[in-house]
Amino acid sequence: MADSSSPVKVAECGCITPFGDAAATHAALLRGACALRPVAVLGREGGQAVPLALLPGRSLDETVPPDWLGALRGLRRAIPDGDWGSPGRPVFVTGSNFGVGGLYALRRTGDPAFAAWGAPATCTERLRADLGWGPDVSIVSHACVSAHLGLLLASRAASAGLAEEALVLSFDFLSPFVAGGFHALKILNASFPAPYRLGEAGAIGLGDGAAFAVISRGRGAWALEAQCVYNEMHQFTANRGDGSGFDRCLDGVAAAARGRRVWFKGHGTGTLDAGRLEVAAAARAFPGAPVVGWKGSLGHTLGSCGLVELAVAIESVRSGRTPGTVGGAGAPMGENVALESFGNAGFDGVVCASNAFGGAHAAFLLCHA
Amino acid sequence: MLERHIQALCTDDPGDEAPAAARERLKGRFPPGATRRMTTLGLLVGNALAELEPGPEDAVVYATGYAESRALEGFLDSFPAPSPTLFQTSIHPSAVQQLMIGRQSPVREFLPLSGGALFAFHMLRAALLSPAPRVLLCGGEERGSWLLGHGLASARTFAFAAALTAQAGPRALGRVRLARAPGDGRLGIEAWFDILRGRAPFAGAVAPGWRMEVAWS
Repeated sequence: MADSSSPVKVAECGCITPFGDAAATHAALLRGACALRPVAVLGREGGQAVPLALLPGRSLDETVPPDWLGALRGLRRAIPDGDWGSPGRPVFVTGSNFGVGGLYALRRTGDPAFAAWGAPATCTERLRADLGWGPDVSIVSHACVSAHLGLLLASRAASAGLAEEALVLSFDFLSPFVAGGFHALKILNASFPAPYRLGEAGAIGLGDGAAFAVISRGRGAWALEAQCVYNEMHQFTANRGDGSGFDRCLDGVAAAARGRRVWFKGHGTGTLDAGRLEVAAAARAFPGAPVVGWKGSLGHTLGSCGLVELAVAIESVRSGRTPGTVGGAGAPMGENVALESFGNAGFDGVVCASNAFGGAHAAFLLCHA
Repeated sequence: MLERHIQALCTDDPGDEAPAAARERLKGRFPPGATRRMTTLGLLVGNALAELEPGPEDAVVYATGYAESRALEGFLDSFPAPSPTLFQTSIHPSAVQQLMIGRQSPVREFLPLSGGALFAFHMLRAALLSPAPRVLLCGGEERGSWLLGHGLASARTFAFAAALTAQAGPRALGRVRLARAPGDGRLGIEAWFDILRGRAPFAGAVAPGWRMEVAWS
């Protein structure tokens, strides 16, 4: 089931990754560049070296104020001015970590200064004040589908006429808290991720990422259609083994895409089971659609991934060329996996999908407006 | 104007009840053994939400500012050998997932929110904009320990769940409306909980330019 209201438009969209903005990130992906580097999982406290993609010059260790604040200030300059956070121009801030790295530093050092950005609401309030926004700033946090939910809520506000335009900002910056957590789950380890590649063991990488989108009913070159979600509630981390959760989410997008030629920007973290299920579900829902995943280069930017990768998808369509699946060289999980870049002029749209803990799925169709 | 009718409501305001006592009080509401790893917030929100018998086509809007504070504290304390279980449990929407995964109950739309001074407005806007026939608006907080001393956890434990529908029907308990209107106000999650718990009427600004009305039958 997708929202039945008329599709909204993406009026503006941008991102920041270790490669730079959306254009620089897209160019790097086309080159097959990898932003992941081995970094001690607990920062200055050491531990196994794991693949992390940090913004240039940024340390995994927390600072006061957070050293990622500069990146968000830079991203803010790309957002059109617009009295954001005032009635009629709501902001939806999404992510999975917010300032949680400060809690880790607080506990390890005892320095109360680290508490200032520690909770989602305090982090967002400080960010709101720093970026000069009004008070209407909602906070959405559903792990790695957070950005999709921010887009959904912003779209509903715009569609209902409650917002002239709505701003979605999504960010996640790495810390020993989150790297240590994924390392404890053993899916973040010394191996580099190889999304959609057959193998004996899967692995993920993690990355810094932030992005924004201005959602509008009126202006914009990109239509956001068939925003669909589904939550399996099967297991805390894994998906149902039959892939039905993927199908239930993608059914609504497939209905909207019927008769149109699409390519599929998948989640593709590098885990084996989820990758296999996603590739098979994409083949069922969108026969013949090439599947790409970019987390083998950018790492998994967690709650921001849906919006970071939307910005790259838009840049791909704008430039006419879609980067292939970086890091996936070898035997792919399906014939639909595109390892090399391809021209996309002959396509009508792109399906953007993300997944999260708890068997959460989210997807939408992006087309020219 | 946005409007929904309150068809069912469950609130839990356990005061200073210790986590172990909450587990003992609520363990009979969950399958045997299921409560062993549940958090206090998971027990309270899960119990309140279970009262509404969530179904696969319901939308669940979940509101909590601090989420699983005790699990978060435990995870932070577990370094330099972080606990994978506490990492999973400390993730923001875990309280609802503890119930729904235990029941193997999928749900199409699950919107977990955090918030501050305008939290009541934000959760209600999300709930009232959902196209689902029935929206289950649930949430709460659990009292923290050492995070509370830093202002990073709730001082109060509470939970609520309300079933909201577009049609009034014969047994509606009340009605909630949001409308654009001049004025300024703030209403956080704890104040929203007290409105529900006391079935108290409310009419006033809950955000700049937004007015809320809650009326009870």
